[in-house]
Amino acid sequence: MTRSIPGVPPAGETAQRRALPVLPSASGDPGALDRRDFVKTLGVAAAGTALLGCSQEQVEKLIPYLASPDGMVPGVSTYYATTCRECAASCGVIAETRDGRAIKLEGNPDHPLNRGALCARGQAALQGLYNPDRYRGPMIRRGDRLEPISWDEALRAFAERVAETRRGGQAGGAVFLNQHESGAFPAFLDDWLAGLGMPPHLSYDGQADFASIAANRQSFQVSWPRYDFRAARLVISFGADFLDAWGPSVTYQLDWADARTDFARAPKLVYVGPRRSLTGLNADEWIDCRPGSELAIARMLMGDFTPAQAAVVSGVDAARLERLRAALEAASPSLVLGGGSMDVALMANAINNARGNVGATVLTAEPVTAYDGMNSPADVRTAVDRMRAGSVSLLMVRNVNPVHTLGRSGAVAEAMGRVPFKVSFSSIMDETSELCDLILPDDHSLEQWGVAQPLRGTLSLQQPVMNRVFDTRPTADVLMAVGRTDSALASRYAAPSFREWLLPRLPGGANGIAAALPNGLIAGNVEPRGATRLAPLPRLAPPIEGTQGDLYLVLYNHPLLGVGRGANKPWLQELPDPVTKILWQTVAELHPDTARRLGVKNGQMVRVQTEAGSVNLPVCTYPGMHRETVAIAVGRGLVRSGRYASAGVNALELLLPFEDRSGAPAYVATKAQVAAAPGYQQLVTTEGSARQHGRGIGRAMLLADIGRDVEHHDGPVHHKLPGDGDHSHLPGLRAPIAADAQGDLVHPEDIERGMYDPKHWSGMAKRRWAMTVDLARCTGCSACVTACYAENNIPTVGAVWQGAKLFPDKTGFGANILRSREMAWIRLERYFEGGEDGGPDFDTRFVPMMCQHCGNAPCEPVCPVYATYHAPDGLNIQVYNRCVGTRYCSNNCPYKVRYFNWFGYGEPARAQYAFPEPLNWQLNPDVTVRAKGVMEKCTFCVQRIREAENRAQAEGREIIPDEFTVACAQACPSRAITFGDAADDRWAINRLVHDERAYHVFEELNTYTAVVYLRKVLHQEPSHSPQRRLVPGSAADTGGGAH
Amino acid sequence: MASVARPVPAKDVEIRQRPNIASADVQLPAVRDYEQVDREITGTLSPTGAWYLGLAVAVFFLLTGIAAWLYQIQQGLGVAGYNPPVMWGVYIITFVFWVGIGHAGTLISAILYLFRAGFRTTIYRCAEAMTVFAVMTAGLFPILHLGRPWKFFWLVPYPNWRWIWPQFKSPLVWDVFAILTYLTVSTTFLYVGLVPDIAVLRDRETNPIRKRIYALLSLGWRNTDREWRHFARMYLFLAAFSTPLVLSVHSVVSFDFAMSLVPGWHTTIFPPYFVAGAIFSGIGMVFTIIIPLRKWFRLEHYVTLNHLDAAAKLALFTSLVVGSAYMTEWFMAWYSALQVEQDFFWNRIFGQWWWASAILYFCNMIAPLTLFSQRMRRNVTWLFILSILINIGMWFERFVIVVPSLSHEFNPWQWTSYAPSWVDYAILAGSFGWFSMWFLLFIKQFPVIAIAEVKEIVAPRLRTEHEHGIDVAGLHVDYERETPGEKE
Repeated sequence: MTRSIPGVPPAGETAQRRALPVLPSASGDPGALDRRDFVKTLGVAAAGTALLGCSQEQVEKLIPYLASPDGMVPGVSTYYATTCRECAASCGVIAETRDGRAIKLEGNPDHPLNRGALCARGQAALQGLYNPDRYRGPMIRRGDRLEPISWDEALRAFAERVAETRRGGQAGGAVFLNQHESGAFPAFLDDWLAGLGMPPHLSYDGQADFASIAANRQSFQVSWPRYDFRAARLVISFGADFLDAWGPSVTYQLDWADARTDFARAPKLVYVGPRRSLTGLNADEWIDCRPGSELAIARMLMGDFTPAQAAVVSGVDAARLERLRAALEAASPSLVLGGGSMDVALMANAINNARGNVGATVLTAEPVTAYDGMNSPADVRTAVDRMRAGSVSLLMVRNVNPVHTLGRSGAVAEAMGRVPFKVSFSSIMDETSELCDLILPDDHSLEQWGVAQPLRGTLSLQQPVMNRVFDTRPTADVLMAVGRTDSALASRYAAPSFREWLLPRLPGGANGIAAALPNGLIAGNVEPRGATRLAPLPRLAPPIEGTQGDLYLVLYNHPLLGVGRGANKPWLQELPDPVTKILWQTVAELHPDTARRLGVKNGQMVRVQTEAGSVNLPVCTYPGMHRETVAIAVGRGLVRSGRYASAGVNALELLLPFEDRSGAPAYVATKAQVAAAPGYQQLVTTEGSARQHGRGIGRAMLLADIGRDVEHHDGPVHHKLPGDGDHSHLPGLRAPIAADAQGDLVHPEDIERGMYDPKHWSGMAKRRWAMTVDLARCTGCSACVTACYAENNIPTVGAVWQGAKLFPDKTGFGANILRSREMAWIRLERYFEGGEDGGPDFDTRFVPMMCQHCGNAPCEPVCPVYATYHAPDGLNIQVYNRCVGTRYCSNNCPYKVRYFNWFGYGEPARAQYAFPEPLNWQLNPDVTVRAKGVMEKCTFCVQRIREAENRAQAEGREIIPDEFTVACAQACPSRAITFGDAADDRWAINRLVHDERAYHVFEELNTYTAVVYLRKVLHQEPSHSPQRRLVPGSAADTGGGAH
Repeated sequence: MASVARPVPAKDVEIRQRPNIASADVQLPAVRDYEQVDREITGTLSPTGAWYLGLAVAVFFLLTGIAAWLYQIQQGLGVAGYNPPVMWGVYIITFVFWVGIGHAGTLISAILYLFRAGFRTTIYRCAEAMTVFAVMTAGLFPILHLGRPWKFFWLVPYPNWRWIWPQFKSPLVWDVFAILTYLTVSTTFLYVGLVPDIAVLRDRETNPIRKRIYALLSLGWRNTDREWRHFARMYLFLAAFSTPLVLSVHSVVSFDFAMSLVPGWHTTIFPPYFVAGAIFSGIGMVFTIIIPLRKWFRLEHYVTLNHLDAAAKLALFTSLVVGSAYMTEWFMAWYSALQVEQDFFWNRIFGQWWWASAILYFCNMIAPLTLFSQRMRRNVTWLFILSILINIGMWFERFVIVVPSLSHEFNPWQWTSYAPSWVDYAILAGSFGWFSMWFLLFIKQFPVIAIAEVKEIVAPRLRTEHEHGIDVAGLHVDYERETPGEKE
């Protein structure tokens, strides 16, 4: 709203993107204060002094700059294209910066990998950038403490150490562990190491599925082929969670959604695995095999086994396996994906080969190169073994955390104790860095230059989007500075910084880069790093059947937190797991029948014990579990990775020191002893009831019924009464009832008239902002939720200190969530349909639920102070300043999408403050940080609407249809959400609202919502009958915690 | 103003002494003359140690509540036990509870006055004071349940240059009007009724300052016929004016719920149901107050068993009304054929909240059935216990209305639970402290039984004493404290 400043730079495109004209200062000459900084400092200080005299209020800086850099207009965003480094895939992002601060990350629409979408983890990179637990500058160990030192001292200490190592002839014993990334830096690093006589670095990624990578390398000589879901007629996934985090999953979200909504030739998905992951929940069929028996089923498909033999091993009904085999025979082309185990992945590749899928659905010729150069985790383990043997002279780590990711049984901490000098380049504290002797914190990836190579032939540029937050330096610059101290290397590193080193080496040179920066992409390749495989023999686990225990233990990487990289980001901690809906907590997932057999209920503690260790966890029953299995997510319970990361329990305590044949830690390798333990921990979940109870919230229809005018019976029965409006009408979305309520009696079916006269003086009544949510596209990944948090300054409330006032006797993470006080304006409701008998055949409905902006809103008339009212353009407005907090609006909201500020989450002085410095730098200046005691809810990103209107007005034009969209729709990787003006036929939304699958949630309540849902499409007749249960059972009976 | 005292013919002595008398005919045979009335009733005004102790306890609870509220203001509403979507909890429950209690006073003083129900005479002052203080208590809760209580005046339509008015469609705004109106009228009613009594106090007062205050408050009452005529007219007018308010206020309060579309709230039965419940709870509270009071103040011969008996019948009647409203809810849940309504109702009665419903049904429907027995109606101990049960039951009635509906609404994903926190309990206790403090202060400043009205039903003293100790009605009645029916 503050963006309607005259003289806004003209923007022909939707997003005006510009290259950063100059490198941020302080890279060359730290400590020096240039003229601009001096003026800024002086101005701010003077303003502060002047203001103090006349106000009792706390003086705050409205904008970070008083004298802004050239070309920067206060209150107008600048957009930079860069590359996401949160996982190896290297999606392209557009960083929105305002007054020199990055405030939002969105997918780069031109990027071939993510095509404008961005997952929750990628968006949360901002909370890595602004993480309060980042190292604020270089540190050195004195005694048992890390103490801050200056960069000069730190560089000197590092250079001395390097020189000393070389003098002692021990350079060959140095180890550099680097977070795996694609692009130029790995080669640069190897080059630097080689110059010093050190071995190439180990490129390590704890969260990538190395089993698949190793298999692909063996089968196809590429790390990761591209998959074409649209061409496939049948997709079989053996634990390859391509919608959760397996590979470049953002790519797959869109591919999959596109493939599935091409109804004429949509592929069917069968998921094989002991636990139904998010991908499993999106599958049409789930084959709940025993852990470790996926291979047998895959071999059955290959023809090595008969279905009967595979049935014995896997515990799955032979007839089902036979059906699966027949389906695979019938489908051509098909696509078989294997993950988690190299053997399974190899077998999947073999099936693809045998079925002729390679070249059709498995595109090895245009591979994803983001995983090239990655070392096997076994290489890292070998390095650790060397450390333990005392043969490592110098250890350097950068953004990897093997102390955590290799588990307690990896004994990395002990091994590191034998290394004389350890240097960490990590930008944020973690278990490994805390053991190091010298910390030379790296810039965050949003603060530094670089290049990534996501695909063959495509380079994705990485550029700083803002000045650095802390006193950090790019590792490459540090390495170059150290190199310059060595006479032999000095000539190699003549360039003042990595940027100058890098740019000439890219295709097109520096000029080409300048041209390419606005969209962040260059065609071409960088020289890949050479093969550095140590090729150790993996420590294979003994057969799982032979291990001792009651239940198979399935560890899996949390889809949002990775192995723990996301654990210190409150957005990700507060984002409910898409499957279990657990947040801030680690749980033991058990099938309801198994839990019953153990005599435990949701929240009761169980002790899970393996030979490596034991953990006590609360039980969370989940019907998508194999009955003989306990599953635990890895990624929480990090004790030294920052203030948020210690939520939950570290499941890697249970990890045995075994490896898959690829060298990846064996997450499924043993049975575990599981027994009820004393104690109870209420489940921290956002789930009320996991069943819809016939309310028709997430509806579905059969694929066969598409295009046939059938009547659906999956919602509440509505008895039409005289005088009722026409419930079947879709937007238009005007609310004749609301007009009636204004005394403006109109015909009940007249959709032209709303509460406001179309000729309302404001000129706004001609629009009706509306949204469609296509449940056939939505995969439940929850990226929209994080986008909303980022866009709308939504506080996270689950940290331990934020809930301390609630349960003074027992404090823990998620106390506010236990009271259902999460603030997510958009939430992913996840309902199970069918499977009441505990069987594997249940259907899942993911329903993004946000304010429905009802045309006849129940919340509006009950607010005594007009804090919520109806805008002429159809928005349901919430005026925070007017709200007194009666909360009646929430009571009257059937969708329950209003959220109350129970505490002062936005007040820095309070314990409940949700944005500890510098997390508050991320706050969107267009959106109020809400005060204690007021109600808030989804605004349809009103700030974006008004910005677009203002921009159009400033440019003397109408808004172009689909010129802008809201944050959730923008982020959605599967394009399930569409936003637009339903009163204007030119907007894309108008096609969707009149889709045959369209319905309103609770339309029987005459709310005339602006959000239209499109039915999910079932590809096979559900095995359950969708009977209405008149009498609901307790919410706990279906696998979720009632809270 | 009670039924006019009229001599009871000698032949009706037996009738009079039969305990189960018509309520219009309640008499005070043990009260012989005006002097006795003045003496005994004003005698209750001198403070005692027990009274100070009681006041101290009340103030302690009040301070606890204030401390809790300040803490809540400072920290935010989050310290209360709210569990969204249960956005209303103990405060709204307690608000409705106190508004309900505030109903019996006006009912007894106004409606029963219009109906010439004589048993009201001795209890109405107490009930009226209770009404005023209960409404004062209730009025706090809509404020202290606000997220930003310092902005409460935004609910009041006051002129402002921005021309922002309250949303007149919101029942919460209606509440503001209803409560303020009711508070004004009931306070006026209480005060007008007090004027002749204050004159008595003025005349008997020796402390010059207090005498001056009483003189001021008595508005120069001189006991002239003209004053009495105006007084009676005024009182009748106020009674007539208050009567619709008794019905309207709680109807409006019920609109807070009934105007919403929450299952269990969205029902047309709420206004009469709430009014009946309010009267029921008010009478319960009257018992809770008057039974200890008549004992401590030794006023058993004023508030006789006959009065209690008659009031108990009213309690029984309202209990039956409320009970049939509960039964209607069962019927409606079934008859509505609305799945949301049925699910919610099932959960309320048999599911998550069965215990609250069980308390409600026992206290409000089952326990009061004992009042069909005359023996129980005249058992003061049982009446007191029952009154406590009714208070608990009526608090839980509101709990059952507020919480189970919100915790089990349309969207199953948002089904939750609710448990109050210590702040809720402290503020609840504070409300009792606040109420009790005012009431305790009141009973030591003003007569808790209407002196003037009691005098109306007591025969005036003869100019000369009858030599045989025969009173004006020609009855040989020994002066004794016992009242008919109490000696069994």
